[in-house]
Amino acid sequence: MKKRGYKKFIPYIYSLPGLIFIGLMIVFPILYTGYISLTNMNVYHWFDFHIIGFQNYKKALFVLDTGFLAAFGRTIVWTAVNMMLQMIIAFLIASLLNVEGLKLKGVYKTILMFPWAMPGYISILLWRMGMFNTEFGLLNNWLNRLGFSDVHWLNSDHIAFGSSVVVNLWLALPFMIMIIDGALQSIDKTYYESATIEGAGYFVQVRQITLPLLKPIIAPAVIITMFTTFKQFDIIYLLTQQQGSKTGADIHTVITYTYEKAFVTNNYGYSSAISIIIFMILIIFSLAIRGGKKGGDVDE
Amino acid sequence: MSRRTKLKVKLGLLNLFFVVACSLCLIPILYTLSVSLSGTNNILSGSFSFIPKTFTLDNYKAVLFNEPYLLWLKNTLILVSATVTLSLAVAIPAAYAFSRFRFIGRKTILYILILLNAFPSILSMFAIYRILMPIKLVNSYLGLILIYVGTMAIFGLWNMKGYFDTIPIEIEEAGKIDGANDFQLVTKLILPLAKPSIIVTAVMIIIFVWNEYIFAVTFMTGAQKYTLAAGLYALQATQYTRNWPVFSAASLLTAIPILIIFLMIQRNMVSGLTAGGVKG
Repeated sequence: MKKRGYKKFIPYIYSLPGLIFIGLMIVFPILYTGYISLTNMNVYHWFDFHIIGFQNYKKALFVLDTGFLAAFGRTIVWTAVNMMLQMIIAFLIASLLNVEGLKLKGVYKTILMFPWAMPGYISILLWRMGMFNTEFGLLNNWLNRLGFSDVHWLNSDHIAFGSSVVVNLWLALPFMIMIIDGALQSIDKTYYESATIEGAGYFVQVRQITLPLLKPIIAPAVIITMFTTFKQFDIIYLLTQQQGSKTGADIHTVITYTYEKAFVTNNYGYSSAISIIIFMILIIFSLAIRGGKKGGDVDE
Repeated sequence: MSRRTKLKVKLGLLNLFFVVACSLCLIPILYTLSVSLSGTNNILSGSFSFIPKTFTLDNYKAVLFNEPYLLWLKNTLILVSATVTLSLAVAIPAAYAFSRFRFIGRKTILYILILLNAFPSILSMFAIYRILMPIKLVNSYLGLILIYVGTMAIFGLWNMKGYFDTIPIEIEEAGKIDGANDFQLVTKLILPLAKPSIIVTAVMIIIFVWNEYIFAVTFMTGAQKYTLAAGLYALQATQYTRNWPVFSAASLLTAIPILIIFLMIQRNMVSGLTAGGVKG
């Protein structure tokens, strides 16, 4: 079919409004963040800021006691711990859901999906006030009843980190269970039958059949979850770092750290530099993942 | 033991495991429900069970009539409807263009959009604030709507583009042969076919706006302008800390619509999301 001249512009006309919104509200602010990161803008230099080059970046990357490197390390640990626990528990639960003869599977699955359906920030606040609260939280109440004394769930670094991991698991497991459950169902049952005939035990079957077949199906979801975990802001912020009601635990990840530098200590230039560093890290991550995956083209 | 009884024991244990797992999973929600229905602040006494001794709806009444809850609901609905309408209006044509046409810059833009999606908007929140302030869009709904539309346009574009890709082009060609013009082609053929994906996208946008609190709190001043999320956040930071039953009632009232919508479209959501942009 021959294209008339104006037809060439049709796709641009169709996509222009959307791209303008994205350009103005997403791209321009990122570029502006990059610009602020090169200045000394802070609460004392709101208008009379000036360019100071890469000093903010140097401060973040080479001055140890700014806390950025510690927060970065913590974010890596946070992501690794959560992903590991999530994969193991979700695999276990999904496999058990698929045991033949389990009649109530549908009911269990629906109930297990509830945490996913709840608005995230509400769940986190409910955990903070209902479960972890020192005076009237359920956990301490139960502990008291068993004869133990109160635990301050959110006040010291290690316990608060553990509590945050628990909340993250509670929030994120449903999605992972659903993904693995779907993947397990797509595996051809005859593989297992012939393996059983050849005398392969349960664990051999899991290692030789289930896991290799599972991997490519769940890979995209796992990668997405990894990014969301790395970028997780709400849990740590709402549980421990809320403005005006900090619990005293310092378990900043890079995102909550950046937020604090911008909106609490008002060091805008420095905070913007960290934003750009995180963005670079995320880009490198996703490029590495795309590069490692064959056919990772955006087209199909 | 015969094979049969062995199987029965196994299934029994399995059911026990899931009953325990489901209870663990529901405890925070059930406990909140129980607190919201109980009369006094301290319902915890006696045993491990947390069923309230006296049932009352006072906490729900307090939320609805003593707090600006209904005002926040109204504000939220304004933001939700404006964001959904605008996002779909800009994302559907764009998704269609990126799915059906091959043009210069197409691949590059799609790729940049993926990278932009990796950028958490909290990181550029200060820059957005600084940009919107001089043009008087801070503390205005329009400002928030623009931010939300920008974020959701990327998601909508990718998600619906993925779905458009699965609609065979032959259907359109057949329509063209039957004499349909471009406009009819889109409104009569493509949009009805893409309905599942459009619905999922719209619902995801609704959930996003309904749950978004950090921009709403930062950009809006004064409880009169808060959304539900911002209002709940502000209240738990101040007075509700002392009034946990009222806060639980407010939380549940806010969560229930989303819970219902979510469970209703859950099945579509899996297919709507996996067929769409999430696959890459």
